[in-house]
Amino acid sequence: MVSPEPAVDTVIGPKPRVEIRHVFWIWLALTVLLVLFSLWVPARLMGPPASPTMHAVESTMTVFSVAASPVAAIVWAIAIYSLLRWRSKGEPDRDGPPLRGNGPVTATWALLSTALCLVLLVWGLAEMTSVTSAAEASNPLVVNVTGQQWTWTFDYPGQGNVESDQLYLPLNRPVVFHVTSKDVIHSFWVVQMGIKVDANPGQTTKTSVTPDKLGTFDVRCAELCGLRHADMETSAHVVSTADFSSWLTQNGGHS
Amino acid sequence: MSTAVLDHPPIDEQAPTGGGVMRRLNVVTALVAGVVLGFIGWFVAHLLWQDGDHGSDQVVLVTLTCWAIGFMLGIGAFNGPLGWLRGRDLTHQDELFLAGKNQGVSRYFRFTTDHKVVGIQYLVVTMVLFAFGGTLAMLIRTNLISPNSHFLNPQTYNAVVGLHGLIMIIATIIMVTGPFGNFIMPIMIGARDMAFPRLNALSLWLIVAAIPVLLSAAFLGGIPTGWVGAAPLADQAPPGMDAYSMFIIIFAVSSAVAGANITTTVLTMRARGMSWNRTPIFVYGTVASVGLAIPAFPLFMASQVLLQVDRTQGGQFYVASGGGNPWLYANLFWLMGHPEVYVILIPAIAALMEITPVFSRKPLFSFNAAVISIAGIVGLSVMVWAHHMYASGWAPDLNGPFMLTTEMISVPTGLLFLVILGTMWRGRVWTALPMMATYAMLWNFIIGGITGIYLSDVPADYALHGSMFVTAHFHYTLMGAGLTGAIGALAYWFPKMTGRMLNARAGYISFWFVQIGFNITFMGMFAVGLAGQPRRVVTYAHLFAVGNFVSTIGAYLIGIGMLILLWAVVSSWRHGERAPANPWGAKTLEWTVPNPIPMENFTVLPIVTSDPYGYGEEADSTGPEFDRAADGSVREPAQVGAIGDSGHAPVVDSEVER
Repeated sequence: MVSPEPAVDTVIGPKPRVEIRHVFWIWLALTVLLVLFSLWVPARLMGPPASPTMHAVESTMTVFSVAASPVAAIVWAIAIYSLLRWRSKGEPDRDGPPLRGNGPVTATWALLSTALCLVLLVWGLAEMTSVTSAAEASNPLVVNVTGQQWTWTFDYPGQGNVESDQLYLPLNRPVVFHVTSKDVIHSFWVVQMGIKVDANPGQTTKTSVTPDKLGTFDVRCAELCGLRHADMETSAHVVSTADFSSWLTQNGGHS
Repeated sequence: MSTAVLDHPPIDEQAPTGGGVMRRLNVVTALVAGVVLGFIGWFVAHLLWQDGDHGSDQVVLVTLTCWAIGFMLGIGAFNGPLGWLRGRDLTHQDELFLAGKNQGVSRYFRFTTDHKVVGIQYLVVTMVLFAFGGTLAMLIRTNLISPNSHFLNPQTYNAVVGLHGLIMIIATIIMVTGPFGNFIMPIMIGARDMAFPRLNALSLWLIVAAIPVLLSAAFLGGIPTGWVGAAPLADQAPPGMDAYSMFIIIFAVSSAVAGANITTTVLTMRARGMSWNRTPIFVYGTVASVGLAIPAFPLFMASQVLLQVDRTQGGQFYVASGGGNPWLYANLFWLMGHPEVYVILIPAIAALMEITPVFSRKPLFSFNAAVISIAGIVGLSVMVWAHHMYASGWAPDLNGPFMLTTEMISVPTGLLFLVILGTMWRGRVWTALPMMATYAMLWNFIIGGITGIYLSDVPADYALHGSMFVTAHFHYTLMGAGLTGAIGALAYWFPKMTGRMLNARAGYISFWFVQIGFNITFMGMFAVGLAGQPRRVVTYAHLFAVGNFVSTIGAYLIGIGMLILLWAVVSSWRHGERAPANPWGAKTLEWTVPNPIPMENFTVLPIVTSDPYGYGEEADSTGPEFDRAADGSVREPAQVGAIGDSGHAPVVDSEVER
């Protein structure tokens, strides 16, 4: 095999500062790329938000992606650099330097990741408070949502028990959904509004939202509920207050 | 350097004369006994419950129970306990027979106690499970190639999804601790066998008995609930659900037996001198995994017992109309379900942490941080389960605390990245297949980890829960990191397990097919998930067509890559290049034993004088003492320093010898 030689050899070189500088540049380049990706892609894939809740979720996706970019970048930068610079062709003929750890580096890594976690946690808690604000509005529209294999039924108890298999909501009015199921667990999901809660048999769960965009959106079941789970979808129509009133009246209710 | 030796008691070269009735028992008698007893069970149950409300469920449950008992009887699993009842214990010859001595290939088809045989059996079982699960994955992706492909009807599709999920979960749970935890780990700690060799065989054959139970679900109406078996959908499911329950119950017993065995082995049978700071990190990973499984799986088992009370006895544990509560099931399930992902991940990452020093020719960076991180992950992983239930409505007030514990788990996980990166840092990186798996893990697991942090955020989870985004996320962790790590471990330990080198060229080709295909598949899935496609749907809106098509093409690439890997494994195993004892220049004990490995591994038991990571350290340096030959060679086993030459008392124990 190999004759004994100093632990630090001349090929790899005792020049960690240069290597750190190289890794830094790769890291910076990757970070920039990932930040651009974060700003552009996740929110775009999620589509235009139809509620402040979805807006908050999309900001979260963007902020978390941006926050994660330098972390992913440092891991990949070191990995890439190790392949470029430290790769040995075939079996290595001698050992690398015997670095058994580096207290300050480990401590910094642990502290930074803990700090980053706490920042994300605080962000998440603040966001949680904001997305539940619709539930605390003074005069929310109450909609009872009932899942059963494999349809959704919506009724409006404050509006003369109007019942519908499509969801109609007035623009900019807070809505509270009381969700339950007649058989198995379903999950009530208004995709573009970013809200979801399970429909459990024997229980009533709540979620709330303030739709802020006119249009037709997707209601899907997000919990496997049997044979026709894939077909358990309907539409959510967000209409103007006047249109909502006339829809209620047409269906035997009142606004 | 002083080390110890004891001549091993001579083992005669003749085939053992013991064994008694065990000589006649093998997998064929097991199958016959299982089928016969299963048939008897079916017949009796049929007579008893012909007309009941729950008749078919009761019949299926009794039949499958009888099958499993019959199979275990037929393989000889009960011979030991039955012998004790009759006041008999095994003779030395019996034990030699049980260990499979001089039985050639037939020992792989018996209740053989040698841990190396059990390890190989686990490897084959794992590969068979992956073959089933992978085929089902191809069916799923083929169905999803277009929005309304009608390739599978909804019932078949749901059954395929459920079976794919459960088979893959089981396969990934056993893929590292089964083959490598049983074959490699005991040698790695310098033991001659596991602490309880017969329990070792028991845990393996229980899984073998359970696999037909699981597959029978396909013919009993399938598992229409996804792998989670969510109640109350499970209450109204066809008898396939009974097969599911029975499978989980058998598997829980198997994992408890294996967990007790592996933890006892590591606690009590490490070689002399192998203090905790000289114990290889893979051993920590294995113990953490099986140790975490010990509390986790009984909860799953309990959930299935309650489900069977519902299904066969008219119980109402999960049925709201009878006063039951589906959240009970969800809690029991996820109390198992989240520790379970670390049961899968930790040993795979630990294997890569074992591989990285060898292929970087550097000591493991910050051994203590690695151990503390594994411990931290284990501790936190039992406190995060309700993040699967943010949107269930069970306890909205607990979502904040569970968000905290979930996000904190990324701190120890992040330290594991540092350990691997620090080990590579300025190393001499040898990009053989095992090391390539490390790089692939670094890529995939960062993506899997970061997307996990999105999902830990409660409002983001409200939007993404139950969507394809979640599916992509956990495939990035369990497959991108877990399975990749297991493939790295297979490439790494293949020469020791089979005595032959894994075909490197085929290995590389497979690697690139699998990794590129994997990233295509699940990037596509992230995209459609963000756009709002639910999981487990047989048809979907046209909006998601492009992403799904891309995913399906990626999945086919994975399939091709896996077939190449399968071919490489089978062909290399049969006629690959003969492997030297230590082809990678590693320093752990398993590389000090010759190929083929003698039945009790070590003719003299090693005494360990340093940890196995002393790369670049001279014996007289300030690092841990490690005996190196004068020329610095680390390749010849006798010079690795863990094996010595002078007479201390032996640290020998193995059941075979007793």
